[in-house]
Amino acid sequence: MAEGRVLYRTTGLTKSYGEGASAVHALRGVDLEVHAGEMLVLLGPSGSGKSTLLNILGGLDRASAGEAWFEGLELTGLDDDGLTEYRRRSIGFVFQFYNLIASLTARENVQLITDIAENPMRPEEALALVGLEDRLDHFPAQLSGGEQQRVAIARAIAKRPEVLLCDEPTGALDSKTGIRVLSALDTINREVGTTVFIITHNAVIADMADEVIRFADGAIASHARNDLRRSPTELAW
Amino acid sequence: MVARLAPLTIKLLRDVWRLRGQALAIALVMAAGVGMVVMSYGMMRSLAATRDAYYARFALADAWVPLRRAPDSLARDLARLPGVAQLESRVSAAAMLDIPGIAEPVTARLHSLPGAINRLVLRSGRMPQAGRGDEVVASEAFVRAARLSLGDRLPALVHGKRIELRLVGTVLSPEYVYAVAPGQIFPDNRRFGILWMAREPLAAMLDMRGGFNEALVRLAPGTPVEEAIRRIDNASAHYGPSGAYGRDLQVSDRFLSSEIEQLATTVRILPPIFLGVAAFLLNILLARLVDTEREVIGLLKAFGYRGGAILRHYGALALLLSVGGVLAGWGLGTWMGHGMAVMYQEYFTFPFLTFVAGLDIYLLSAGLALLAVLAGAAGAVWRAQRLAPAEAMRPPAPARYSARGLGDRLVRLLPDEPSRMILRGFLRRPLRSAASALGLAMALALYVASASSTDNVERMIALAFERGQRADIAVAFAEPRDAGVVRELASLPGVQRVETYRSVAADLSHGPYHTREGLLGLPRGAALMRMVTLDNAVIEPPQEGAIVSSQIARKLGLAVGDVLNVAVTEGERQRFTLPVVQVIDVPLGASVVIERGALARRLREGNVASGAYLMTDPAQAGALYARLKQTPMVAGVSVAAAAVRGIRETVAQNMGIVTLFNTLFAVLIVAGVTYTGARISLSERARDLASMRVLGFRKGEAAFVLLGEQALLALAALGPGLVLGVAMSRYIAASFSSDLFLIPAAVSAATLARGVLVVALAAAATAWLIRRSADRLDLVRALKTRE
Repeated sequence: MAEGRVLYRTTGLTKSYGEGASAVHALRGVDLEVHAGEMLVLLGPSGSGKSTLLNILGGLDRASAGEAWFEGLELTGLDDDGLTEYRRRSIGFVFQFYNLIASLTARENVQLITDIAENPMRPEEALALVGLEDRLDHFPAQLSGGEQQRVAIARAIAKRPEVLLCDEPTGALDSKTGIRVLSALDTINREVGTTVFIITHNAVIADMADEVIRFADGAIASHARNDLRRSPTELAW
Repeated sequence: MVARLAPLTIKLLRDVWRLRGQALAIALVMAAGVGMVVMSYGMMRSLAATRDAYYARFALADAWVPLRRAPDSLARDLARLPGVAQLESRVSAAAMLDIPGIAEPVTARLHSLPGAINRLVLRSGRMPQAGRGDEVVASEAFVRAARLSLGDRLPALVHGKRIELRLVGTVLSPEYVYAVAPGQIFPDNRRFGILWMAREPLAAMLDMRGGFNEALVRLAPGTPVEEAIRRIDNASAHYGPSGAYGRDLQVSDRFLSSEIEQLATTVRILPPIFLGVAAFLLNILLARLVDTEREVIGLLKAFGYRGGAILRHYGALALLLSVGGVLAGWGLGTWMGHGMAVMYQEYFTFPFLTFVAGLDIYLLSAGLALLAVLAGAAGAVWRAQRLAPAEAMRPPAPARYSARGLGDRLVRLLPDEPSRMILRGFLRRPLRSAASALGLAMALALYVASASSTDNVERMIALAFERGQRADIAVAFAEPRDAGVVRELASLPGVQRVETYRSVAADLSHGPYHTREGLLGLPRGAALMRMVTLDNAVIEPPQEGAIVSSQIARKLGLAVGDVLNVAVTEGERQRFTLPVVQVIDVPLGASVVIERGALARRLREGNVASGAYLMTDPAQAGALYARLKQTPMVAGVSVAAAAVRGIRETVAQNMGIVTLFNTLFAVLIVAGVTYTGARISLSERARDLASMRVLGFRKGEAAFVLLGEQALLALAALGPGLVLGVAMSRYIAASFSSDLFLIPAAVSAATLARGVLVVALAAAATAWLIRRSADRLDLVRALKTRE
C-alpha cells in the first residue's frame, strides 16, 4: 500500500503526572509519524503509555512536553475549546464499554453526532455499514454487547471523521462478536479511507493492521509494518 | 495509644465530607422547617405567657360595662351581684387633641385613673396628682409617635369644652396592648392616643359628678362570663347604652388573641413544606448513593458484615446529614424568635416580652425533623441492607427505556437528541420528577402567598377607601345633631361636599343568637360613603329591610329572607324587626346597613345625624383641620389619607420583614431542590455527558442536558406553583380575617411575575454552580469506568 500524506506527527511527546521524585511518566518522549488512511494497532501491557498517546492524539488529554501535530494543527498548542472543536470535526472514538447514551435508541445515538457534524452520513447509512439496519429503534439495553459496540462504531464514523480512535474495542466481547466488530472497523478503513487506531491487549489483532506499534514503559519499543494485512475473519483467539 | 476508628465509621465521615454540598442544601431546608417550628411555637407560647402574666399582674378586667350615665349607687349594686369579685367604676370620654406638628386633629380616649383594675405601668414621669385637674398620663406609644415630651401642654376638646391638659407621665395599660381607634384595624399611634387623668376633674367636665359611665368587672374564678354579663345587663338596664361585654369582644385582646391564632396557622403551613422538601431531598440523595455503592455493599456483605451493620451505616449517614439542619434550625428559630419579639413589642405594647421557647419545643422540632429523616431515608437504607451480596456485586441492570407508549411518542416529536435525553429521563422517573417539580412549586407558592399579603391589603384599601368610603374626612358628632348641621360643616374652609349618616348602637338577635353592633343608616345615592363588597360591587341600601355583612350573618345564623330583631340600646331604646334582603362580604367593619329614612322612621325621629362625611380641597386641609379642632360638636375626626398611610406603614414594617424571610426561604427551597437534583443528575449522567464531550459536543451543549432538565422542572413547577400560591394566599387571607375585618384575596399579576422571577433566578444561580462541576468532568475517567 502506497504511503499517503502524513496525518499525525509527534516529537518528544511526554506526559507525566506529579512532580519530582514521585512523578509518574506515562509517556517518555514519543516520536511518531502516522499516514492518512492507515490501520494501526497499538500493543503493550497496561500502563505502557498507549492509551495516553491515544488520548493526546484524540484531544482528550494534554501533553506535558513535546509537540503533536494533526496535519497543520498543533494539538499541543490548543486550549480546551480548541480541542473540543478538533474532536468535533475530525475524530471518532470507540471505547471498551461502548458509552452509548442509554436513553437514546441506536438511531438516536448516531443522530446525536450527525446533528452537530458538517457533512455526516445518514444515521441509517452508518448503522447499515456495521450491519445494524434492522435494529434502528432499539435502546442500548435491548442490544447485545457486540451490537452496542457496533452502534458505537456507527456513531463514531457517521460524521465521516478522518481518524477513528478505538481503545480496547473488543475488550468486553467474546471472540466471535469481537471479530464482527473488527470487521466493521476494517470495512470503514478500506471503504471510507478513515485512519483507524486500535489499542488492544490481544496480539492476534495486530495481523489486520498496516502498522503495529508496541509500547513498553512509556515509549515505543517497536514500530513494524505488516507485509500482509489479514482480514479480521481470518483471525482467531 | 489513640483509639482506631472502625473502617465503616471512617467511611461514614468521609461520605459526609464528600456529600457536603448536598448535605448543606438539605440542612438549610431542614433548618428553615425546624426554625419555623421553634419560632412559631415559641412565639405563641411567649406571647400567651406574657399576655397572661401582664393581665394577671395588672388586673385586666374580665368584663366592661359601658353606660350612658349611672349613679355611684349602681356600682355598689353591681358589685354585690353573684360572681362579681371586684368592680370599679370610671369615667371615660372621647377627646380631640390639637398636637403641635400634627396637622390633623388627633383622636383620644380619656379615662379616669384606675384603682385596682386595669392598672397602669408607669414608664416615665409620674402619675397625675390629686387636685391637679389638668395633669394627664398618656400611652407611651402615642407619646413617642406624636413626639411629645413630659410637661407639654395639650389643647383638647372634651365634651364640647376646650381645655388644656399637661402631660406628666407615660404609661402602658393591659387594656391597650393593641391600641386602635374605633373602626380601625391597624394602630395609628400618631393620631390616636389614650389619656388618663384624675376622676374628679374629668367627671366635672362631663357633668358626671357622683356618677360614672363605665364599670370594670373582675369575676370570681369559675364564674361563666356570659352569665355574669347577663346579670350585670339586667341590673344596669336603665343606664344603657350598649351593654356589657367580656374579653372576647374587647378590641385589644381580640387582636392579640387572633395574632396568636395566626401563628398557629403559620406553623400548620410552613414547617410541613420545609420538612417535606428536606425528606424528599434526603430520599433521592440516599437512593442514588445506595445505587452507586452497590458493589461496596456487596463486598462488605461478602466479607461477613451483617445487614444490621449496613442499616446502621446508612441510617447514621442520613442522621449525620440532618443533624446540622436541626442545630442550625434551633439557632435560626431562636434568632428569628428574638427578632419577632422586638417587632411584636413595637406592634403590641407590652412592658416586657421575652422570647422563650422551652426545651420541649426544641425537642418537638427535632422530633419532627427526625420524622422527615425517617420518611426520606427509610426506603433507601432498607434497600441497602436487603441487597444480597451476589446481586450487589453485579452492576445494576442498564437503564431500561421503552420505545412504546404515549410518552415516547411525545419524545419523538422533539427535534434533537439532547432534548429527547432530558424528556426520557423525566419519564423514566416520573415520581421523582413530579416530587422535584412539586418542591419548586411549593417554593413559588410560599413566595406568592407571602408577598401577596401586601396585595391583599392594597386591595382592601382600594375597596374600603377608594371605592367605599370616598370621603376625605369622616366626622363623628359628640351627640346626634339635626341634619341642618350640614350647612355649618359646608361653610368650613375647603369643604366641597357634605353627606351625613346616622348610626345607633343596638342589640341584634336572631333565634338564640345575639350580638351588639352599630346599625348604620345611609342615604340612597350617596357619593362619599357606599357599601362595597369584596368583589367590588357597590350596594345601595334597600328601601326596606337591611343589608347584613357576612360576618354578622354567620354569627347570627342569618340568611336572606330571615328577620332580624333589633333592640336599640340608646335614646328611646326602640325595638323593631328588619327583613334581611342581602348578605354581603365587606372588607372593613361588621355592619348592618339600612336606608337612612327607614331608620329615622323606626327611631321615630326627624332628620338626625350622628356624623358626616366630607369631601374637601386638599389645598385648604390645614385651615380645615385647625377649625375642626376648635369645633365643639365634633367628637372625632378621621382623615382617610392618614388612615391609609398608617395602614401602609404598618404593613410595610411588619409584612415587609416576613415577606423578606419567606422570600429567602423560597430561594432556599429552590436552591436545595435544584442543587440536589442537578448533583444527582450529574452523577447519573456523568458518562453520557463525558461521551458527548468526547464526541465533540461543546461544554455548553453538553451542559444543556443537565441544566435543561432543571429548567424543565422549574417550568413544570410554575403552573402548579402559581395555583398553589393563590390558594395559599386565599387560605391565609381567610384565616387572618376576623369578625372585625375581611381580607380580600387579591394576588396581583406583578406578585406572580416576581414569584416566577425569584424561582427562575434562584434555579439559574444554583444551576450555574453545577454547570461548573459539569464543565470540569474528567472525560477519560468517566469513560473508562464500567457502567
